[in-house]
Amino acid sequence: MTDETEITLTVNGTEHTVEVEPRRLLVHAIREDLDLTGTHIGCDTGNCGACTVLKDGEPIKSCLMFATQADGAEILTVEGMEDLPAADDDLHPLQEGFREEHGLQCGYCTPGMLMAGKALLDENPEPEEDEIREAISGNLCRCTGYQNIVRSIEYAADELDARAATDGGAVAAADGERSADAGGEADTFCGLEDCCGGPDASGGDHAGDQFEREYLGGEET
Amino acid sequence: MSSDRERAPDADTEYQHPEDDGPEPEKHCGHGRGGMGEEVNRKEDKRFITGRGDYVDDIKKPGMLHCEIVRSPHAHARVEEIDGSRAEAMDEVVAVLTAEDLLAHDLATMPTLMDDTQDVLVNEKVKFQSQEVAAVIAEDRYAAKDGAQKVEVEYDVLDPVVDAEEALEDDAPLVRDELDDQEDNHIFDWETGDKEETDRVFEEADVTVEEDMLYQRLHPAPIETCGAVADWDPGKDKMTVHMTSQAPHAHRTLFSQVSGIPEHKVRIVSPDVGGGFGNKVPIYPGYVVAAAASYVLEEPVKWVEERSENIQTTGFARDYDMTGELAATEDGEIKGVKVDVLANHGAYNAAAQPSKFPAGFFNIFTGSYDIEAAHGSLTAAFTNTAPGGVAYRCSFRVTEAVYLIERMVKVLADELDVDPAEIRRKNFIPSEAFPYESATGWNYDSGDYEKALDKALEMADYEHYREEQQRRLEEDADKLIGIGISSFTEVVGAGPGKQCDIAGIEMFDSADLRVNPTGNAVLRVGVQTQGQGHETTFAQIVAEELGMDVDDITVEHGDTDTEPYGLGTYGSRSTPVAGAAAAVAARKVRDKAKSIAANELEAAEEDIEWDRESGEFHVAGAPDRSITITEIAAGAYMNHPGGEEPGLEATNYYDPPEMTYPFGSYIVVVEIDRETGEVDFEKFVAVDDCGNRINPMIIEGQIHGGLAQGIGTAMMEHVTYDDNGNVTGGDFMNYLLPTANEIPNFETGHTVTPSPHHPIGAKGVGESPTVGSPPAIVNAVVDAMSEAGVSHVEMPMTPDVVWEKLDEVGLSHQPARNVEFSVEDGEHADD
Ligand code: FES
Ligand code: FES
Repeated sequence: MTDETEITLTVNGTEHTVEVEPRRLLVHAIREDLDLTGTHIGCDTGNCGACTVLKDGEPIKSCLMFATQADGAEILTVEGMEDLPAADDDLHPLQEGFREEHGLQCGYCTPGMLMAGKALLDENPEPEEDEIREAISGNLCRCTGYQNIVRSIEYAADELDARAATDGGAVAAADGERSADAGGEADTFCGLEDCCGGPDASGGDHAGDQFEREYLGGEET
Repeated sequence: MSSDRERAPDADTEYQHPEDDGPEPEKHCGHGRGGMGEEVNRKEDKRFITGRGDYVDDIKKPGMLHCEIVRSPHAHARVEEIDGSRAEAMDEVVAVLTAEDLLAHDLATMPTLMDDTQDVLVNEKVKFQSQEVAAVIAEDRYAAKDGAQKVEVEYDVLDPVVDAEEALEDDAPLVRDELDDQEDNHIFDWETGDKEETDRVFEEADVTVEEDMLYQRLHPAPIETCGAVADWDPGKDKMTVHMTSQAPHAHRTLFSQVSGIPEHKVRIVSPDVGGGFGNKVPIYPGYVVAAAASYVLEEPVKWVEERSENIQTTGFARDYDMTGELAATEDGEIKGVKVDVLANHGAYNAAAQPSKFPAGFFNIFTGSYDIEAAHGSLTAAFTNTAPGGVAYRCSFRVTEAVYLIERMVKVLADELDVDPAEIRRKNFIPSEAFPYESATGWNYDSGDYEKALDKALEMADYEHYREEQQRRLEEDADKLIGIGISSFTEVVGAGPGKQCDIAGIEMFDSADLRVNPTGNAVLRVGVQTQGQGHETTFAQIVAEELGMDVDDITVEHGDTDTEPYGLGTYGSRSTPVAGAAAAVAARKVRDKAKSIAANELEAAEEDIEWDRESGEFHVAGAPDRSITITEIAAGAYMNHPGGEEPGLEATNYYDPPEMTYPFGSYIVVVEIDRETGEVDFEKFVAVDDCGNRINPMIIEGQIHGGLAQGIGTAMMEHVTYDDNGNVTGGDFMNYLLPTANEIPNFETGHTVTPSPHHPIGAKGVGESPTVGSPPAIVNAVVDAMSEAGVSHVEMPMTPDVVWEKLDEVGLSHQPARNVEFSVEDGEHADD
């Protein structure tokens, strides 16, 4: 096409220069020009929220914005979550929450939900249930019935809160994220009521016992 | 439905604890193996929460072209001329395809799953709005859209007919004039049960009730739409199609039949799929066009539909206009049930159900009740609307059947002025009557309906809400309470193959289990997941059967080049059929492992015992001399006993002897605003029984999701048309899916009544909530107004519909505050 413009997008901390037609949607620039396909498309009317990303910290539907409108902006997509300070080189507490609380099934809405959840917790670290529901009400999920998504976001809020507490309340400013402490207290036991009563599955010496190998990377603790 | 065989091979009773409501699940902590009943976190989650899922639209191939379909703005029109020259002249447009081009390759039409023939691109006449007329193939998705706008089509517009009843009138426009023997819009008549006997029962009955109800047209609307990337490899003469498919193997066979490309030269891959719910069972024209374009142009071609295309053209669900009747004694014993249905099938007969069941499993409409006489009749009609009749999170029309019977039981209860819980209790098939053969010939495997109902009543605090309901009525309160019950029975897990087939292919399923030398394993299955969590639950079955660790088992699915043939995932058939195949394959591996165990433990094979608890073989009487499958695996490859084949693997193709019959009781308490007609959920209780449970966390997730869809059905969703055949509910602005704000928190519970014929006693659960919840919700809304004489409210029960009903029976309250506001404050009143 003839009338392409050069724009700069800083996505997940990396600056990209792309040539786009003025009519090119931001979601297409993200998915097709930058190959970040974690951001999805689920509708043609701006209703589903599968395309939600954070633009300069605000959640936006990237199908409702031209790429050129985001020129110079900082964008966060799902692919950037593991690099956030709170992720502590692993999964972000929101991502953990979705896995622990079964907040996803087909996974198609999940990146958008994570972004909506992130925007909420940045603003409001201790949201009530109805505030969570309101915050994700622009994101459709056809699989989960939302209940576990709400729990997932609550999980993340609690996790971030617990970390802040072990941090002595220190909250890192970077990316609107609280700084992360490594994993909370180490349980001697697996920590689950009525479970095996065995030692913490994420640590300890399991050599020689094939059934007691490191299982879930310590998520349960 | 009865079968020749008595019971499944390998039915294993070790899991079965029927008297048990099931222990509270263990959260999988890493110490158990992650077997049956454990809440193992999903193996598939990591890729989805990190943005690494791989959906069809994420696929990018070198040289890949994009396909955009030109669709008809009219519902009924002859195509006079298509001029693609302006599009073809565009730089980035590679080709414009019409029916004529497809005819040259014999690809102009495709068979539907009900053996009708649908135009891939319209040959002569458009039969529904947005039907596929031409396709533009271009280098870029924007260019393809530009091209599509430049294709000029000349139409001769005809009068459409959108209503099924009008379609059957003598002077109705003929939808299918291309069919030689089709002189009207009538497709077929279907009948079930014993008419004479049922009529006799109705004549002799103390009481009869009748109600008309429409199960409106819905769309499954998974958040990912349908799409495909077709890639013809002229070097290998091979067609690879990545597509949103719930049934990749069956689609391979159909693709081969349609295209003439031999089946071993067709590979269908169903990658990560963003929800299916029945939408991705049929083959749609877009897939065929993409494949045809790739074949002709020898480049990969991507077609991904937009949401409006998805809702307006791909398989809708329901659209059954039903009349139900019940005959009963005056103390509420149901003696007979009658039902008459007018089914709108759209422009083609493209329902997705086993081919010998033109009305699907609708004849399960006697539900959970022991009813001696039943008769059903149905007429299906063509209309100028999109084709469909897919099983939206439903086992082939069981949803319509359950809605009918559960609504009718409420109607009868109100007529007799008895409690709707009591009337159910009185008529349930008693738990000791199983296996039970119904009046329409279904063979129910097991059930304990009263137990599930009792549990739900208790969880819902039923008596309290009954009192509260009365209190509000007496006090003329602004909000009414309504309590709805649904005690449904499902029939899922098709086959058996002799009775159930899709396009002639028997509905078995398969599993292929290979244990590697280092002791881990790969399980390949013929079904496909669209969010159900197969990668976890199937691994749990194997973990349980072989004493392996769930993390040591990888489950693969969706690629026809590597997976064993199967019929796919829909109709809640994955656990009943492929789950059974996985268990049986694992048991075959265990059998083989036994001789290796004997060899390794230096004992006679007869002395080797399997201990499920520890997941090990040991020598009888010497529990210390034990060996695990993991250890045996090495022996199978490095030290296999003479006379045995090396390796450790097994395959099972499982043809179920019977279907399974999950059931449950749902109780919904609603609060209705008498000023606005708004309905709020005060309590939503779901007690499900799906037999033995594999992963309670996943089950609960399935229940939540299905209940939300049930709320969408009851309260919001409807694919509507105007008289000209324009779709007026065809995108997410107008076809409303519930958001987190409309969905309450659900309280779930369970009972456990294992299937006696299933290897692990499981029944399948994914669809119970969508099937069971709509009648519970409608019953609740009706219940709030039933004392005033309301016997039915049509879905979707939007506030205006509910308010009209309230007003009709004198229950509405005037919005007092607003009236005052407008009288006293003229300025604002004008706003
Ligand atoms: S794709 Fe952006 S809101 Fe649906
Ligand atoms: S998990 Fe499937 S749409 Fe939300």
